[in-house]
Amino acid sequence: MPPAEIWIDGLVQSCIYMTMAFGMVLVFSILGILNWAHGQFYMLGAFVVYYAITAAGIPFPISLLISGVVVGGLGMLVEKFVIERLTSPGYGMLYVTVATLALMFFFEGAAGMAFGLMDKGLSTVLPGVLDLGSFSVSYQKIAVIIFTLVIMISMYIVLNRTKVGLAIRAAAQEPVAASLYGISVGRVSLIVMGIGCALAAMAGGIMAPVYTTNPFMGRIPMIMSLLAIIIGGLGSLTGAIVGGIILGFLNSVIAYHLSYVSEFVLFLLVIIILLVRPQGLFGAPLK
Amino acid sequence: MPLLELNGLTKLFGKLAALEDIDLNVEEGEVLGIVGPNGSGKTTMINIISGYYRPTRGTIFFNGEKISGLRPDQIASRGIVRTFQSNVLFEGATVLESMLIGSFLQYKTKDWQSILESKAYKDDHERVVGRVIELLKTFDIFNDIFLPAAGLSHGYQRMLGIAMALIANPKVLLLDEPTTGMNHEEAMFVVENIKKISEQGVTVLVIEHNMKIVLNIATRIVVLNFGNKIAEGKPEEVINKQEVIEAYLGTETI
Amino acid sequence: MPYFDYKTLIPRTVIGVLIALFVIIPVFTTNVITISIFISSGIWAIAVMGFVLILRTGQFSMGQAAFMALGAYTSAILTIKLGMPFWPSFLLAGIVSGIIALIIGLVVLRVGGIYFSIITLAFGEVVRIFAQQMEGITRGARGLIPPMPPTIVLGGFEINFAAGPVPYYYFMILLVAITAVVFWRIDRSRMGGTFSSMAANQILAEHQGIHLMKYRVIAFTIAGVFTGFAGAYYANFLSIITPLMFGLWQSIQIMMMSIVGGISSIVGGALIGATILYTLGIYLSRLPIFNIQYLLFGAAVVLVLLFLPKGTGLVDLWGKFWHKVFREPEEYEMPEESEMAVE
Repeated sequence: MPPAEIWIDGLVQSCIYMTMAFGMVLVFSILGILNWAHGQFYMLGAFVVYYAITAAGIPFPISLLISGVVVGGLGMLVEKFVIERLTSPGYGMLYVTVATLALMFFFEGAAGMAFGLMDKGLSTVLPGVLDLGSFSVSYQKIAVIIFTLVIMISMYIVLNRTKVGLAIRAAAQEPVAASLYGISVGRVSLIVMGIGCALAAMAGGIMAPVYTTNPFMGRIPMIMSLLAIIIGGLGSLTGAIVGGIILGFLNSVIAYHLSYVSEFVLFLLVIIILLVRPQGLFGAPLK
Repeated sequence: MPLLELNGLTKLFGKLAALEDIDLNVEEGEVLGIVGPNGSGKTTMINIISGYYRPTRGTIFFNGEKISGLRPDQIASRGIVRTFQSNVLFEGATVLESMLIGSFLQYKTKDWQSILESKAYKDDHERVVGRVIELLKTFDIFNDIFLPAAGLSHGYQRMLGIAMALIANPKVLLLDEPTTGMNHEEAMFVVENIKKISEQGVTVLVIEHNMKIVLNIATRIVVLNFGNKIAEGKPEEVINKQEVIEAYLGTETI
Repeated sequence: MPYFDYKTLIPRTVIGVLIALFVIIPVFTTNVITISIFISSGIWAIAVMGFVLILRTGQFSMGQAAFMALGAYTSAILTIKLGMPFWPSFLLAGIVSGIIALIIGLVVLRVGGIYFSIITLAFGEVVRIFAQQMEGITRGARGLIPPMPPTIVLGGFEINFAAGPVPYYYFMILLVAITAVVFWRIDRSRMGGTFSSMAANQILAEHQGIHLMKYRVIAFTIAGVFTGFAGAYYANFLSIITPLMFGLWQSIQIMMMSIVGGISSIVGGALIGATILYTLGIYLSRLPIFNIQYLLFGAAVVLVLLFLPKGTGLVDLWGKFWHKVFREPEEYEMPEESEMAVE
């Protein structure tokens, strides 16, 4: 039975993957595309928080919000000027797929040039630990857990109790019918992309104190959120959450026993799941 | 022996029975009208016969061979071809291209012969093109041969769909509401062509809402309601049956 | 035939002249770098053709570079560890790559669509990681160094591969020519039309009698064979194979090359796209600032995608150019170029 630290770590990872996966599935449901650059928004969010705190002295919570707004806004720009153009009728899926893949490398390169390749730490933020008897939890990790709870509750409220949320859910299920009811699918796409990227950014931001920040930090979260939504089922928001939880704990527990989780195993899992049960846990069954 | 036999055909979507325990025999050469209110399972039946759905229960026999559970391409190559109500076009193709790439079953030569462009393939190809043009002329779309198929009016798109089904050499033709979206002239034109097709020996199953058309062309009709077969027989007899009138009250009148 | 079909003959003659020029390039320049760029471009063009063939059936394979790796490592391991001569090992490289493509295709093409794409991406990474970890066979990140093909003596002529890139250049042309003929033929044949029908409307195609799985696997396997050959030849030319030479970035580059070149022409688009993007990549990698190549490359590709008219690539400019040249004012209004690559 792994010690408590491993379970806490698993919980922290679950939180992040859950948030990332949620954002990714939201975008997938409305825009119909996998945003391969999703991990880069995570990375950019972390950098925004880093510079907001170290260069401008802005308190952590506000920096988080700023990163959500800024990177969410960037996501909306990407949607408006790239994705929308390349998903209009007549373009095959190839174009937008290649575009998001190209953006993946573009953002990594840009971040590398702008911020340098060195790891940047934010250990001074929320220092200290909470002593819980036989083990202790750093405040930073507790912040991650609280943050995720807040986000998930907010998402629930937005999606289920607001008009915008209703529009999003309608557009996700039946785009044509939704547009007949006056819901502009274009505007919903914009909003959803903003939310999805903001979620990724804030996930990156909240993790910035826990681990280090560098331009390549988006790669693993990208794979993980992809794996999470595959486990959960490609179109399913619930699936994203459940997949994120499963993956977070799986990752942590396996790392404890095997001292590392090989990327190899992760990719093999992707392949096996997609072959055996492509719709994941909650996705719509095929034909 | 009937050409096509449906035995106990049932299709469940979750708990919803789209088709329930359908027994139906189709004789060679007849024109069978399939009628019923919306949602009665008509298209589902065609989807199962054509192989697009697997039946939950029951079997289908064609010429004594069990075809339920086969893939659509296997069923088409055995001679059962269908048209579609929507989703009828090859994206981006012109009328001629649509027909040519849909002519897979019309060709007698093999793939490797077409890659090597052997004499046998060239002759075969010429024959197929001839047949395609013949069909396009029959359905009055020959003039638009180089235009994108998506630019045709809805009525003519449906005609293209029928032409495409015919180029696949059907022994049994499944028509899914062929005249929906057409004006009276176009519908009558289709009716005439269905008669001609039947005269050439093709067995036809046609889903139709328009009772006048059904009475015009069908030798026999079967009535579905809520997934069940509620009547079967000669058109004039069936439409006067109480159950049929009740099923249709409020929808179509004679 | 009295009518001189100049509209077809003139563009074809121009292409013929260009091809002839390419063939005799080594006469004009002995610049090793230029010739090497052409060799590499040709090889990548083969991989791009494979990708486009699969695309023709409506599937995106995001891991084609993995087949280059399979071909390259097969050939290298056979020559280095088993002492096989180059040419047989080269042949086997393509065959092994094709067999693996066949097996994977049979298993994975059942699901198709986005699941297939994700699986191919994962597969590409699995191959890369496998090459990195299996130090015993592949020497991991240090890579393998395949030996050069032996000198060939052809009735008085001596083809010495160690002497410079020129022999590699001519064999590349031979390889590209063979691949181009095969792919072009397939594309123009009825099978090519069958492929296009599957991409244009899968359900309709299936109901017209087309066995989807069979043709997807055929395309995937053929692509695998030739991509394997390309990989084997490339590694041999560079005299080194490392796992990162054929990773995700390269698979993505193949996709980018296909779009930029234009997917309407399986051969022309591949050649144009591969040459342009490969050359761009070389120049960008010379820049002193690390990372700028990813930045600029990514930006360039996105811009090209946005500014090319819908669904076309550079190769389509060729058609438009001749159309403008030959256009007569009262000519029948030719409809928009059909998007299908079927004749």
